[in-house]
Amino acid sequence: MKRRDFIKKTALTAATAIAAPYILPTGRLFAATGARVVNHVVYVLFAGGIRNQESVEQQYLFNQGILTGGNLMENLLSGAAPTQNLVYSKWPKILANPLSMQGSLFREVRYKTGPTGHYNGHTVAITGNYTETGLNLNINPDYPTLFEYYRRHSDPERSAINAWWISEGLGPYPSLNYSLHPSYGPAYGANYLRPLTVFAGAGLEQFGNAVAYQPDDVSRINQLKSLLDKNFPLSAENLPGLQNRPEDREAIKNFYLDTIAKVQSGTIEVPTPGNDYSLLSGDGIALTGAWEVLDRFAPELLVVNTTNLDVCHSDFSSYVNLLHWADYGVGWLWNKIQQHPVLKDDTIMICIPEHGRNMESNNLVDGNGLRAYDHTGDDNSRRLFAIVAGPSGKVAQGQNFGSPNNPVGESIDIVPTIAHILGFHEEIPSYLLPGRVLDEAFV
Amino acid sequence: MRLLLFALLLLPTLSCKKEITTIREVVPDNYIYGINGDTLYQSNVEKTKQKSSEQYLSILYANLFQSTIPPSDLAQLSELRLASGDKQLIDELVLNNYINGGGAIIPSDAEMRADIGQFIENTYIRFFLRLPSPYEVYELREMIESDLELTPELIYQGFALANEYQFY
Repeated sequence: MKRRDFIKKTALTAATAIAAPYILPTGRLFAATGARVVNHVVYVLFAGGIRNQESVEQQYLFNQGILTGGNLMENLLSGAAPTQNLVYSKWPKILANPLSMQGSLFREVRYKTGPTGHYNGHTVAITGNYTETGLNLNINPDYPTLFEYYRRHSDPERSAINAWWISEGLGPYPSLNYSLHPSYGPAYGANYLRPLTVFAGAGLEQFGNAVAYQPDDVSRINQLKSLLDKNFPLSAENLPGLQNRPEDREAIKNFYLDTIAKVQSGTIEVPTPGNDYSLLSGDGIALTGAWEVLDRFAPELLVVNTTNLDVCHSDFSSYVNLLHWADYGVGWLWNKIQQHPVLKDDTIMICIPEHGRNMESNNLVDGNGLRAYDHTGDDNSRRLFAIVAGPSGKVAQGQNFGSPNNPVGESIDIVPTIAHILGFHEEIPSYLLPGRVLDEAFV
Repeated sequence: MRLLLFALLLLPTLSCKKEITTIREVVPDNYIYGINGDTLYQSNVEKTKQKSSEQYLSILYANLFQSTIPPSDLAQLSELRLASGDKQLIDELVLNNYINGGGAIIPSDAEMRADIGQFIENTYIRFFLRLPSPYEVYELREMIESDLELTPELIYQGFALANEYQFY
C-alpha cells in the first residue's frame, strides 16, 4: 500500500472513531469475542534470514558443492540429520514428534514485496502489511501491530500483561510493540522485553540489590506518591511508551527480580543439552526469557524472535550451527508449554522466518571453506516456510501445503491467522489487513 | 556553505544567552544540593519541563549518593530502559536497587522520628529543591506519626516517583 493510501485510510479510521466511537466494523455496538480456536498463541519469528534450502529442503551442504544433505531442524521438521561432513555441533533431538507433524507445514510461503531487511521482515510479520522502509530505523511502524489488534479488539479489552514481545537484540526491535496509528498506539501495546539485557549484563548489575516489596510497603509508597501528586499540577504520565496497570507493573517487577535471582543462583532452565549455560546463544537467552514469561503469566499472546542466524553474511558454518541450536530451543519451548497446566493443549505455536536469503553467495568464505549468503531481495530471499502447530482436533496434523511452483501463504497472513485463533479477526477493519487466514491449518 | 557556517556560529551564541538570562532554563543535570550552590524554587509552579530519562536517572543518583553517576552506569541504565517496554517500571526498579543496595545517604528511622519536621524539610529540599508549605508539612507529619512502619527508605521512593520530581 502506498503512503498516500495509508494516510487516507488512517484519516478514515480516525473520522469513523470520532463519529461513532462504539460502532465496530461488524455493526455491533460493542466488541464481542468471536469463537477462539485456543486461548494462547506463541509466535516464533525464527529470524535472522533463513534459506529454504537449508531448512525445509534439507539440502545442508549441497549448495556448497558438497553432496551431503540432511535435516538440521529435527525438532521442527521430519527427516534424517546429516551423518557426514558435519560443520556444526549436533545436539540431541528434544521432540519425539517434530512440530510440523504436530500441526501443518507450509513449505513455500512468500514475502512478496518490499526490501528483505530484518526490520522490514519483522514489521511485516508483526503488522501484517508489507513495508517499503529500507532502513533499520528505531521508530514505531505506521500500521497497527498484532498486539494492538489483540488488546483493542478482544472482549473485554486485555491489559498489556497478556501481550509480550521478546527479542534477542535491541536495535530497531524495541519499537515494534506498538504503532503510530492514531486509532491504536501505546495504549494497546505489548510489554517489550530483551532478556539478554534485563536478566543478564546490565540487569544483574543494576537490579541485583533490588528487593520485592510486600504489598503493604507498595501501598505506603503509592499513598505517599498520591499525597505529593495532589500538590503538583502537572502529571508525568506522558512518559513515552507502554504503561502497565499499577498491579501489573508490580507483578512484572517481581517477575524480573525473581528471574534475576534464578540467574544469580544458577537455577534458571535454559534450552541447551544438560542445561549447560556455556552453550547458550543469544537466541537461547531470548527463548529462555520467553519461557519465563509464559510460565509466570501464561499470556494469551507472546511473540519471540531469534536473530543470531544472521551470521550467515560471513560465516555459513556458524549459520548452520545456530539454525540447529535455534531449532532445539523452539522444541524445548514447545516441550515446556506442553508441561504447563494452563498452556498445555490450549496453545498454538506459529514459526516463520522474517525473510530468506539470496540464491547466490557473496564473496566471503568461512573457516571451513563455505560461502556466505546475504539477503538483498532476490526471489530466493522471498521464499519462506511456516509451521502452525497445536492440539489435534483444532490444528490439522501432519499436513503439508505448497511447493516451489505453488506457494501457499504469505508473510502478511500470520497476523490475520493469529487474530482468527484468538477470536478477534472479524473485529479488525478489513482494509487494515490485506492478508488472509491460513484456514488450511485448522480442522 | 555560508549559511551553514552562520548557523554553526549562531548555535553557541544562542545557547550561552539562554543560560545567562534564565537560570531555570539550565537543565539541573547532576545537581547536588549544598554542593553546587543552587538556589531553591520559590514554588513548584516554577517547574514546567519534564526531565528526560537520562536527566531523571542521573539526578536521582546524585540526590541519593551525593555524587555524580558513573558514565558506565548511565549507559547500562539507558540500555535497560530500551530493553523494557514499560519505562516507569525500569525507573522504579533502579530506584529500588539504589535504596536497597547500600551506599545511598538516607537517615535512619530513629533519626527521622527524633525530628520529623527537620526530616520533612530536608527531604523536600533534597528531592523537590524547595521548602514545603505548612500544609505539606502537616500532611506528611501525620502520615509518618500514624504509621511506624513508614521508613525513610519508603518515603524517599515516594518522593522520587512523584510527578513533581519528574519536572524542573
